[in-house]
Amino acid sequence: MAVGDPEETNRAAVVRLLSTRYGSLGITTGPALLWIAALLLAPLTFMVVVSFLEVSPISYEIIYEPTLANYEGLFDATPWWDTPFFTALWLSYGIATVTTLLCLTLAFPLAYLLARRGGRTFKIIIFLVLLPFFTMYLVRAYSWVLMFGPGGVINSTLIGVGLTDGPIELFNYGIPAIVVGLTHAYFPYMLLTLYASLDGLDFSLIEAARDLGASRVDVVRDHVVPLTLPGIIGGSLFVFVPSVGAFITPRFLGQGKVQMIGMLIESRVVGTYSIGYASAASMFVLVSIIGAMVVAFRYVTIEDLGGG
Amino acid sequence: MATETGERTEAGETEPDYPGADRLLDHRRVERILRGSLYAVAGLLLAFLWVPLGIMITLSFAQNPVTLFPFEGLTLANYQLALASESMRQSLVGSLTIASVAASIATVLGVLASFALTRYRFKFRELYRTFGIIPMVVPGIILGVALRIYFQSLLDVLPGFTTVVLAHSLYGLPFVILIVTARLYTFDESLEEAARDLGADPITTFRDVTFPVIAPAIGAGFLFAWIRSFEDYIRALFLAGPNTDVLTIWMFSRIKQLDAPELNAVSSLIVFGVAVALAVAMNYGNVTGYVAGTVAEDEEN
Amino acid sequence: MPCNEDRQAESTSSGTSGIGRRAYITGAGATGFIALAGCAGGSGGGGEEGEMTEGEMTEGEMTEGGSSGDSGGTTTINVITWEEYAEMQENIESTLDGVELNITPSTSSTEMFAQWNSGQDEQFDIAVPNNNLVRRFMDADLVAPIDQDAVASFDSMYDKFKTFVDQQFTAGGEAYGVPIRFGWYGYAYDTRTVPDHEPSYDILFEEDYVDADLDGEIIMYDEAAKAMPATALYLGFEEELQGSEMTFSTDQIDQMQQALVDQKPRLQGYIAADPTFIQEFQQGNFLVGQSGRNEVIQMRTEGADWVEYVVPREGAMAWYETAVVSAASDNQETAWEVVNEFLAPQNGAALAQAGFSPSTNPAVSEELTQEQNELYGSIDPARLDGMIPFKDIASDVEEEYVSAWEEVKAA
Repeated sequence: MAVGDPEETNRAAVVRLLSTRYGSLGITTGPALLWIAALLLAPLTFMVVVSFLEVSPISYEIIYEPTLANYEGLFDATPWWDTPFFTALWLSYGIATVTTLLCLTLAFPLAYLLARRGGRTFKIIIFLVLLPFFTMYLVRAYSWVLMFGPGGVINSTLIGVGLTDGPIELFNYGIPAIVVGLTHAYFPYMLLTLYASLDGLDFSLIEAARDLGASRVDVVRDHVVPLTLPGIIGGSLFVFVPSVGAFITPRFLGQGKVQMIGMLIESRVVGTYSIGYASAASMFVLVSIIGAMVVAFRYVTIEDLGGG
Repeated sequence: MATETGERTEAGETEPDYPGADRLLDHRRVERILRGSLYAVAGLLLAFLWVPLGIMITLSFAQNPVTLFPFEGLTLANYQLALASESMRQSLVGSLTIASVAASIATVLGVLASFALTRYRFKFRELYRTFGIIPMVVPGIILGVALRIYFQSLLDVLPGFTTVVLAHSLYGLPFVILIVTARLYTFDESLEEAARDLGADPITTFRDVTFPVIAPAIGAGFLFAWIRSFEDYIRALFLAGPNTDVLTIWMFSRIKQLDAPELNAVSSLIVFGVAVALAVAMNYGNVTGYVAGTVAEDEEN
Repeated sequence: MPCNEDRQAESTSSGTSGIGRRAYITGAGATGFIALAGCAGGSGGGGEEGEMTEGEMTEGEMTEGGSSGDSGGTTTINVITWEEYAEMQENIESTLDGVELNITPSTSSTEMFAQWNSGQDEQFDIAVPNNNLVRRFMDADLVAPIDQDAVASFDSMYDKFKTFVDQQFTAGGEAYGVPIRFGWYGYAYDTRTVPDHEPSYDILFEEDYVDADLDGEIIMYDEAAKAMPATALYLGFEEELQGSEMTFSTDQIDQMQQALVDQKPRLQGYIAADPTFIQEFQQGNFLVGQSGRNEVIQMRTEGADWVEYVVPREGAMAWYETAVVSAASDNQETAWEVVNEFLAPQNGAALAQAGFSPSTNPAVSEELTQEQNELYGSIDPARLDGMIPFKDIASDVEEEYVSAWEEVKAA
């Protein structure tokens, strides 16, 4: 960038550049490409490399000699799936699946309502949904820290009004608390995605089917679900993927007893800088997420998920 | 509220067995009951979304800041504590700075990329689009760890302000691209052609014709990228240095200690702030469209 | 890539060290942003080079915070340590002219080590790990020898800790760490429900050790360095804890892992932070918890007379937090002056009051009330005699040790 040139000359140069095809293409695609290459592709590639390298336990320097030790470490048990890594991974998938199903079940009625109602009701409901959505994730997770626990708001209220003598296990910190926390956190993604696809739905079609004698269940199964499938899949993806990698919610609501994969990776990096192990573990998560997306994209296109 | 739904659902289930009912009447009744239970379910869901936040806001005014029982009275002391906390103010300013810089970068890159995606046909366009979206779906912990070891072990760059900003600008990029491309697809290009026919150069055309029309979308994209950066914890955790003040990191360490009466107040202030901003935004623009457009099909299509 | 603007930002900052860091960050950020917006457009490659430039900017920012003392402004000393040390910040800043503290709170000595050893020793001047980790800092060449002139309070320390320094933190005739405060880990219980009993780790691991239902009512430390030795003592591996490091066999580690896994269903959870422990104990979330003395003393001073703290018959693990200064720090002398202040009576008293743990400097007790002294201010370190100081794990079984803890957490 030539500093001190008269503005007009600069401008003329830019205009000239913009009027060529390659110039304009370069200016528009270039910056983001640079960012993606330097901050997404290069780091992830390096992570793949590191997953095949070991780190000196004394100096923490990377030893550039290819090894499978990190991957062996992930399988180092009999049976092989009995390592902390796989236990944490299965648990994360399980929690993410339950969370996704819960979000889907809960969001559908509300999305349907939103799609069919306009005006004031719509505005108020959407405001009430969007507000938690825009509120810091951390704040929302924290609000559940107050709710759960043996002395938390739920249990102390139940005891206070005399419904129970002691704290109920279900409302202690643990897996149920984590599922609730994650559902609360990612529910709006599901709702908005479903709403968007239901909003495009032609409701006269449904009424026509009803008039022709189809039962409610039939209509939902044969018309509503297929037509909103992109929304269902997209929404599920938006809930499932971040739930698998969740860190804050299980950290706050698990009381140290629940170890999801994100926490394992974090403790390896922060606690012992075992970046080889952490990278190998991340590869598994990344590959399974890419797998899930590939499956999802057989039913929807990326345009369905946003953009154009 | 719970019992109410229970009754309604029960009624809905028994309805079809009603002996010898007039079919039309029955139909209307079922319709009414269904609609009623739909509203009830919606109400319960909103309660689910709001009760924890409501309790947190209540507790921010309570003298006993951790639990409702025993209730010890109301106070504003927590708010005074929150506003007086120097470390809180520092990290708030830090996060505001990071979010603003990162979102600005993401917006410039995203708007340019959106033009490329909507206006030009080029090889690998779909691949380009896909990679433009990916930063949004890579789990935060993986992006955070990957960038940390990349910066620290490969490039010898220690974590700090710049690394957080770079990570967040990448994270915000997809949100800008999604929103702005959606708007550009529906943009009437003949307007631009007309301007060019009248002799305007590309810059003038953009400034006087295109920009005013897509400005709300750009603003929405910026806002999304901004919020993503502001609320991010996990990426910042791995990429912030000792001198990088980040609000979420400050809050996280307080929550871990479970011993900060000002925490409820800070969190409630954030909810209030978002509420006001959102109310204003919803009065001026089609927020819902942008939001739904971000995570789903573009409404305007 | 003609990103000169970045360098410009850097030079601007070093020219005007009077400006606050915040202003600099904002300025540098904005300049960097404009630079990027300006020059990113032209090139498709050269990404890494660009990043490097940015990286230098990071360090520039760091230097601004860390070592502008040369130019006569304020010197910022970056400390990674336990939360309560912040209580001393104001007083130290007013005592030492031109010194500003930037305290990063941490809840784990191993994390402090991991951060320093992975390169952040350049960003920090002081760390205050527990005694068990100091050796690792020394072996990794991360720390600088004590500046005896700067740490004048060293001589006023209890003799016991001077001996510890001689025995454990000295290499090649140079001492590397200054003990700041101390304490020990046993367990606490709620006397309203748990009957009197002979103190033993059995209560944490065995179902019918006392006549009370403790299922789901037990808390363990959420850190291998604290939970694992307690388990070892429960299993009677006392000998392995006696040397300069913990020398468990893999078989013993397996047994410890198994004991902890078997215990897990009976736990309410694992807790790392003291305030969380106190908060939840007071809410009645659990009845027995592995804990330090300080948490219980704090609860008692706050009126919870139902808490009892005991040292198990198998022994207790003793800790003393030890300040070290980074060998990579540009301000080692100032850093040691700050460490010296940690021991000064007034600061030591503030730290003791915040953390309910005694200082290693007996003079601190003069700043505390008699009641405070009895509770925590003036504790004779001779009480540590029967206890086992925290040790690092022997390096040949470190991996098994770490993964055993992971297995427990994942179980």
